[in-house]
Amino acid sequence: MTIFSLYIFDRHCDCIYYQDWHRTRPIRPPSIPNFRPGVHRLPPPLDPLAAQSTVRESIFDRDHAVSNVITTNGARVLSGSTPATNRGYTGLPFDEETKLVYGVVLSMRNMVKKLSGRDETFTSYRTNTYKLHLYETLTGYRFVLLSDPSTDSLRFVLRQIYVGPFVDYVVRNPMVQLDSRTEGIDNDHFRAAVDAHMRGLSMFGT
Amino acid sequence: MSSGSKQYKAIGEDVWKRTDKVNAELFTLTYGALVVQLIKDYEDYAQVNKQLEKMGYNIGTRLIEDFLARTGLQRCSTFGETAEVVSKVAFKTFLNITPTISFPAPSTIPPAAPLTTTTTTQQQTSSSAIPLPFPSEFILVFDENPLSEFAELPRDAREGGLWFSNVLCGVIRGSLEMVSGFHFFLSDL
Repeated sequence: MTIFSLYIFDRHCDCIYYQDWHRTRPIRPPSIPNFRPGVHRLPPPLDPLAAQSTVRESIFDRDHAVSNVITTNGARVLSGSTPATNRGYTGLPFDEETKLVYGVVLSMRNMVKKLSGRDETFTSYRTNTYKLHLYETLTGYRFVLLSDPSTDSLRFVLRQIYVGPFVDYVVRNPMVQLDSRTEGIDNDHFRAAVDAHMRGLSMFGT
Repeated sequence: MSSGSKQYKAIGEDVWKRTDKVNAELFTLTYGALVVQLIKDYEDYAQVNKQLEKMGYNIGTRLIEDFLARTGLQRCSTFGETAEVVSKVAFKTFLNITPTISFPAPSTIPPAAPLTTTTTTQQQTSSSAIPLPFPSEFILVFDENPLSEFAELPRDAREGGLWFSNVLCGVIRGSLEMVSGFHFFLSDL
């Protein structure tokens, strides 16, 4: 029983926030042209020196790995997409992954609506390794949570995040640009509040 | 309609009870000072109206999230329902007033003449040219307006066409646009 990751998408289908907890496979940072600030705390791929100083909040903190690469290469890692910087990352890059998550949510949702009228909403699906929960607001924000397959519905958690931290630290925060299309909504208060909320849940294992 | 309208009234009153309040006089005076400052800065009432509307719009786009988070309402199925929610829940929640709704007959041009000096009228019409199902527009008449509690417009401002509470129109436009409606404001008298 545990929680893997949280994605928030805005009405332009862009991922504006990402946070992970017990992910089994570390995520690969996005390639340079697709890098959007303020979405996640993955080390920026372009500048290895900056990556060194960035504190990555995921438990799969790869900072030490990155710095190892830098030292073995004599601090001359030039391009973020070279295999050297991505050593240890096996999955898809972040931007590809969010596109896939959004794609699957959108098509499932449309399929459900087509199958049985407009009043029915898509809430979750489950595979043998994970469960995806969706909470959608009327204003087009979509909160997606990946959790252990054995958990009950966690939509209420997503709603709590919307009502609590999201409204308090994103909507009411004038420094966060909603609808910006170029930047995410990440800020320290929001990240801390979401983290505390998740860790406070009974299904949040260790 | 009447059972739905009662239900919205109950929701509005319930949410109002749970809302944090600020001093009404402080709010009114702050708003008055804001409008006066805008008039001084722009020296043109049309510009002031535009700025107020813009401010309201920016407020509205965020306020709608707050509103949805508090009330947990679902999407309205009819336009009349939208009018009920705006009046009985939204205005009640944020300003503790319940504007009276009326639906003008379709395809009539709304009267441009002032109703009374103390009444603020807002009107929204759908911006599409094709014939729309009735009702496609509604008017909110404010019996009391907390924004203009102490405000008495000088003749100059009234004749210059200042829409004192135009910020409200912006708020409505911003918030309804976020839940996909298209609205614009016609008169504030």
